[in-house]
Amino acid sequence: MTTASITEPTRGLIQIRDVHKSFGANEVLRGITLTVEPGEVVAVLGPSGSGKSTLLRTINHLERVDRGTIAVDGELIGYRPRKGRLHELREHEVLAQRTQIGMVFQSFNLFPHLTALENVTEAPIHAQRRDKASVQDRAVELLARVGLADKIHAYPRQLSGGQQQRVAIARALALDPKIVLFDEPTSALDPELVNEVLDVIRDLAESGTTLVIVTHEMTFARDVADRVVFMDQGVIVEEGTPAEIFGAPRHERTRAFLSKVLEPAYDI
Amino acid sequence: MATTPNTEVRPAPPGAGSSTGPAGTPSAATPGGLADSAAQDHPDAEPRPGDGRPPGAGAREPATDYSDYPVQAARHPGRWVGTVIVGLLVAAIMWSLFTNPRWEWDVVAQWFTAESVIRGLGETLKLTAIAGILGFVLGFLLALMRLSSSPLLASVSWTFSWIFRSTPLLVQLLLWYNLGYLYDKISLGIPFTDVRFFEASTTSLISQFAAAILGLTLNQAAYSAEIIRGGILSVDQGQLEAASALGLPAWRRSTRIVLPQAMRSILPTAFNEIIGLVKGTSVVYVLAYSELFYTVQVIYNRTQQVLPLLLVATLWYIVITSVLSVAQYYIERHYSKGALRTLPLTPLQKLRRFLAVRSANLSVTRKGDR
Repeated sequence: MTTASITEPTRGLIQIRDVHKSFGANEVLRGITLTVEPGEVVAVLGPSGSGKSTLLRTINHLERVDRGTIAVDGELIGYRPRKGRLHELREHEVLAQRTQIGMVFQSFNLFPHLTALENVTEAPIHAQRRDKASVQDRAVELLARVGLADKIHAYPRQLSGGQQQRVAIARALALDPKIVLFDEPTSALDPELVNEVLDVIRDLAESGTTLVIVTHEMTFARDVADRVVFMDQGVIVEEGTPAEIFGAPRHERTRAFLSKVLEPAYDI
Repeated sequence: MATTPNTEVRPAPPGAGSSTGPAGTPSAATPGGLADSAAQDHPDAEPRPGDGRPPGAGAREPATDYSDYPVQAARHPGRWVGTVIVGLLVAAIMWSLFTNPRWEWDVVAQWFTAESVIRGLGETLKLTAIAGILGFVLGFLLALMRLSSSPLLASVSWTFSWIFRSTPLLVQLLLWYNLGYLYDKISLGIPFTDVRFFEASTTSLISQFAAAILGLTLNQAAYSAEIIRGGILSVDQGQLEAASALGLPAWRRSTRIVLPQAMRSILPTAFNEIIGLVKGTSVVYVLAYSELFYTVQVIYNRTQQVLPLLLVATLWYIVITSVLSVAQYYIERHYSKGALRTLPLTPLQKLRRFLAVRSANLSVTRKGDR
């Protein structure tokens, strides 16, 4: 983290300002304003349907916002301001922005017809046009880092859910992103496989990359996140350090949600 | 129902503990409601084989050791009867094929590799290859158009498929061939002006070959478009989303991520279409185009050996279809990469394994004989 912050002081700053998004008549995001500092790890909690995943998907422009702006390191996502207007970016410019933002999906979404290694090397070679040999070396290194050195030539279907998700994390990291977005990365996993994935994310959190994690793993959020954001019905209800949110939630809705998801045996 | 608790204990044969219950029931349950009330008094007196002894005691006697018993294979008499009947039928058909002189196999053999037939075969293969490839390429573009978010592109693609699937191929071929009747000249220029870069009379431009290719390709494209669209739709939306999130360009997303996965559902139907096309090319005989079928017709009109010559054409169609079927097997196997945990063996590998096992067995039996 230290070396990265010296050379690039604002690597991975996310500024979300008054973002609105509707699907038909259903307003999913109703004015979200949130700043994530470079290197910060933010956990987004909330009941299902609260707009967490949609918010995450607006950050890399998989979902277009209806109103408001999102900027990464001061650069607007999806638009270019010029002469008092926001000009929509061309497709290739949007794609270039996305290569700076890694994303890990709930259902992994690995490419089943490519091996683990091919999954990891595809985007650096064909989206970033980087040198094939060095990308391959880096991919092998990344797969080893997530504990899959012996699985680089395996197809996704030959791997367990936890292993697939770790390949997906390696795939996101291969782009050398400023930010990695996690959309419920452990929700599709069997309970005994959850920890192997969380360990990798925890490791990543310590490396100084900006992480935004939508999760239902409360213990993990409390242990790893620098800040916890609680969303409900399209707005941020409250945010604070894990100790504040889990220890002394100010809002009734936060308290109600936490009392539902935290097991009684879990003393704070 | 329930065995009464006072049912006398009978020595159970080893391993047959469960048969005690049903066997003991009729005698014990007959004395009126006595059995029922007794069962009610003892709610836990459910059927328990060998009651009065520790549960399952009947099965505890040392099991007989069958490990040196050889296994006797089960008999399947019905299977044998079926095999004999089918075998006889096949033999009868073969017998009639080879002994009935009216099949005129000598004539078939004489024409099978005749130069004109081979030339016709070449034309058939050429038509199939060109119309097949162009048809699928155009079909791919039509499928992408149909799936695009532009309503104009989507409706043009829909209309194309609608028109070419609604008209008989025969009509399309004749229409293309007679295009000169509708339009004297074909020219390329700037519309609504007199500027012409290129101009030619329609009849000189549209030969039999061109009409055949146009008809077959456009017709094929209409069907292929739907097959490819179906394949693309069968790919999980998450795949496209992941590819977009990784910043992959649109063309790469289509050709590297979606299409290879769509191929699994496209291929079986696509080969159906190609095999249909091989025989479908015979329709171009209406243009007097000398492909395989027309060539054979010309010959039998001269020699009057109708059936043997139709057999010549049929045998060639069978050969082409067989080759395509083998190709289909291997191409499908290629695209099942990653979809199956382990690829199935190819027939060749199976044969090799079968022979290896056979020879191993053989050597074992020989050893046993000695």
